[in-house]
Parts: sequence; C-alpha cells; structure tokens
Amino acid sequence: MNDRNKIFYTLLLLINLAPYLYGFYDFDKVNFGIDNFIGFYAIFGFIACLALIILAKLLAIFLKKGETYYDE
Amino acid sequence: MNSLLMHPGVPLIIASILILIFKGKANILSLGAILVSFVLLILFLPANNLEFIFLDYNFIFFDYSKLSFLFCLVFLLIALLGKIFSIYRDCYKEKALILLYIASSITVIFSGDFITLYIFWEIMAISSSMIIWSSGTKQASKAGIRYLQVHLFGGVILLMGIIGLYMDTGNLQIRHLDLYSWYNWLMLTGFLLNAGAPPFSHWLPDAYPEGSYSSTIFLSAYTTKTSVFILIMTFAGEEILIYFGLYMIMYGIIYALLENDIRKILSYSIVNQVGFMIVGIGIGTELAINGASAHAFSHIIYKGLLLMSAGSVIYMINKRKCTDVGGLYKTMPITATCGIIGALAISAFPLTSGFISKSMILDSSINQNLIYVWVLLLIGSAGVFLHAGIKFPWFVFFHRDKNIITTDPPMYMKLSMITASIICIGIGIFPAILYDILPYATNYVPYTGNHVISQLHLLIFSGLAFFISLKYLERTLTITLDFDWVYRDKGRYINKLVVLMQTLLNNLMLKMSLKNIKGKFLVFENYVMRQATVSVMVTLVLITLTVFLLLNII
Repeated sequence: MNDRNKIFYTLLLLINLAPYLYGFYDFDKVNFGIDNFIGFYAIFGFIACLALIILAKLLAIFLKKGETYYDE
Repeated sequence: MNSLLMHPGVPLIIASILILIFKGKANILSLGAILVSFVLLILFLPANNLEFIFLDYNFIFFDYSKLSFLFCLVFLLIALLGKIFSIYRDCYKEKALILLYIASSITVIFSGDFITLYIFWEIMAISSSMIIWSSGTKQASKAGIRYLQVHLFGGVILLMGIIGLYMDTGNLQIRHLDLYSWYNWLMLTGFLLNAGAPPFSHWLPDAYPEGSYSSTIFLSAYTTKTSVFILIMTFAGEEILIYFGLYMIMYGIIYALLENDIRKILSYSIVNQVGFMIVGIGIGTELAINGASAHAFSHIIYKGLLLMSAGSVIYMINKRKCTDVGGLYKTMPITATCGIIGALAISAFPLTSGFISKSMILDSSINQNLIYVWVLLLIGSAGVFLHAGIKFPWFVFFHRDKNIITTDPPMYMKLSMITASIICIGIGIFPAILYDILPYATNYVPYTGNHVISQLHLLIFSGLAFFISLKYLERTLTITLDFDWVYRDKGRYINKLVVLMQTLLNNLMLKMSLKNIKGKFLVFENYVMRQATVSVMVTLVLITLTVFLLLNII
C-alpha cells in the first residue's frame, strides 16, 4: 500500500467516525434496531454495491450480446 | 370563469396547430403558450369541474386537486426548461408534436373520468412515438414502432378494463379502486405498462435514447409520471405495487451497470426512480403518497437536467457511447458541473432535491414496519449512486481523457441547465417550497442527524465500491437482452409461421385460380413482412380481445 492510499483510507475512516464522535448520530432513534452500531450504513452501502456489481456481472454472462444481435 | 378555454392544456394545443400552419416560429409560439398555461394554472384555477357533454356522456376535462396541481406545475416547468434548451433544434414538426404531447399529458392528469383519460392516454402514446420518429434516424423509426406497439397493446388492455368497470358499476369517475375484480386488474396492468413495470420495462430504454438530443428530455418526463399520478389516484395502498416497485429499482440498477449508451443508462435510471415512487404508492400512507409525489416532482427536474447535459454532449460532439467519450470536464466545464449536480440530486445527496423527497419514502416504510422493503430500498439508494450518480459523470466527463476538442453548448442550452441546477439545489436547501404544495399537509423534517449521516455514509462507501471495482465496470460494445427478446428474437419464428401460412393460402388460391383476391392478399403480405414484431403484436392484441369477449360471454 503506498502513501497515497494510506492517506485515502485514513480519511475514509475519519469521515466514518467523526459524526459519531461529535454526537450527531442519535442511537435512540435507530431503525428496527439493526443500525445501532458505528458504521452500519458505510458497511451496508459498500457490501450492497459489491453485491449488485457481482449480480450484474453474473447476469451479463447470459444477457450480453454483440451490438448487431437484432440486426441480422 | 368556467369555460373550456381556461384549461391549461388548451394554449399548448392551439400553439401546436399554429406551428404546423406557419411551418415555423416554433420557439416563440411554444414558449408563449407554456407561459400562458402557467398563468392559467396559477391565477385562474377553475373552482368548478369543467364538463363537456357529448353523445349523452359527460366528459370531465378539469377535475382540480392538489395532486394534479403539483404534477401540472412540474410538467409546465420542465416544458419551459426543455423548450429553452431545444431552441437551437431546427425541426418545427417535432416542436409541435412535443406541445401536443405535453397538452395531452396535462389533460390526463386533470381528467375526471376514465374515457377522457383513455382518449388523451392514446394521444400521448401516438404523439410520443412520432416525437421519437422525428429524430430521423433508422434506429429511431424501428424503436418508435416497437414503442408504439407496446403502448397500443397497453391501451387495449386499459380500454378492456374501463369497459369492464362501466358494465359492472356504470360509474366511470376516476376514484380509488380495489383489486377484487378482473377489470381492475386489467386497468392496473395498463397503467403499470406506462410506468415501465416488469416485464415490459424494456420499451423505455429502448425508445427514449433514440429521440433527438432535446426531445428525450420531454419524453423522460411525461409518460411515466402521468402513470405514477393515475396510480396514486386509483390504486394507492395496494401491496402488489411494492413488489413491482422493488423489482423496477433493482432492474434499473443492474441493466444500467451493463449499459454503454449514455442516454440508455439514464433511461434505465428512470425505471429505477419510478420504482421508488411505485413503492411509495404501494405503501399508501399519507407520508408515502407525499413522498411519491415529491419524488416525482424532483425526479422530473433532475432527470431533465441529466438528459440536458447528456444532450449537450451529443449536440456538441455527436457521440452517444461511454466508450467514445471521456475527459470532457476540461472542455465542457459548465456542462460537467450541471451534470454532476444532477447526478448528486438523483443519488439523493443532502442539500439536493432528491434527498428531501426520497427520505420520505424510506421513512414511510419504517413507519409501517416493513423491514424488508426498507432494506431493499436502502440497497436501491446505494445502487442509484453506483449506476447514475457516479457512473454517468465519471465515464462521460472524467475517466480516460480522449482529448476531444469542443466547448460548452450555446447560451440558451447553458441557461436552461443552470436554471435546472438551481432548482435542484434550491429545493434541497428550502424543502418547504415543495412540501407546501404536496397533496397532504406535512411537517416532515428531512435534515436530522441520523438521516444526513446515514445517507452520506451510504453514498461515500458506494462510491468506494465503484472505484474498487472500476476494472470490472469498463464499458464494452454490447447490448443487454431484455424481455423484448421474446418477440424480437422468437418473433422471427412466429413471423415465419405467418409467412408459411400465407404461402399455403396463396398456393390454394392459385389452384382455385382466384387471382383477384390473391393480388389484394399480396399487399397485406408485404405489409406484414416489413416488421417481424408487427405481426406478433397484432396476434397478441387479437388474443387479448378474444379472451375479453370470452369473459363477457361467460
């Protein structure tokens, strides 16, 4: 990991933690009790997007065709 | 005053006819007509219903409600912005047709009975397919025919439902309906087909990107949103709509991820965004309905903005694929900035219009304790950023610099984009502007700590996921198969069957030496041969009509 990446990931961690440290996030008003830990939405968004990309790639095996598919 | 001339759609129709008579002066006439409609809508709201009796039937052209006011307002707003954007487009027929299209969709949202709705519903279908044709390319003419087929098919289903409703209840007033009778299911199908619901979602990304650089803005705004409007009026709170909406959200994301054409990506994201509204309608509480209508309002503006920035790229460099563009932020800074604002708004970034409207739909699912719906909506929100929020600006304005020499588009195009950006941000900062005109009174607060933080984290880490997997998201020169494969690919076999039957009939007639009839039959044969899909759709329509008749006999 080079220095640029290190700075980048540190920044991400700070972005993630800062609001909780300053108390902007109200743990009493969580939804369904599943988002009551720090970084729930960050982890959720990350995993959801990777899952969507993998799903799209899997479907592409069956659905992707050349641009002239219908023109024959 | 209570006269037909006070209807906000009338000036648009008059202007449309005048443009066709003068064969020109399209810009000034359309802008003038839209301004007159604005004045009619805001200053002279008719207090009474506008009715017109013809053949003993009472056509209700103007049935005012807060909801129809909201939709009419945003329809006129995007009409104005789009018309300013398309000032440089030199095609008076297209401009006249666009006015007819806008007028018919406004009449649909103000109509008080299903027959008036149906008539203007069909005018919308015909005028919008003619708008697609007027872009003049070969793909456009083919896509326009496919578009018209799907919509006429939907129209037949809707008409069957309306006839059924009339025969059973004798009352055609637009009102809340239930799903206990077969005709209401048919009507729901007809409405959902226009919203881009599965399995017929493909008509939207298939046809809209074939319009000219400016007409796509209009196409994206009206057909799906009139359908959202009418679903709110008729089927709000039906649980099945939640499932349709969730499917549309996922469908839009996954297909957009695989797509290469810039405007097709944006069209898939229309299906995705309408999915959010349909979920809201399915939840059906006051907050959810407010959310769905607010989302329709903000979506029309930011989708128009995104398509304007895509349209500017196409206008300036005449390239429409992600693989052909890149690095345009240097040469088109204003277009890039406006495109990014639109992309942030569609991903519901705090301080944009998308945030204040989408939060309402998500919160309504929490209030109703629909945990799975909420989780899927959250995945959908992350996915929106993935497929439209980052993908569109990244591949068009950044990514690999293709060193394309160009500039920002001319003045009016810039003006229109900047105005739309200001509206997107303005509504985001002052949500009360929009909340005041929603159908139900609300004191909803979008900017709470939890909302803002959860949304920011969701989006930032979706962005991280995008850049990590960038290698796998490289665009390729491919298309993605959809449900239309059933009749575009398998349709060939049906067509072969038709041709075979015709040959057999011809031989029979030859043997019986009925030459006169054969000559007439050949004309028909040529017509059917022209488009494989025409015969398939005709067959489908005939089958549905037969089923309808059989149902009546039973």
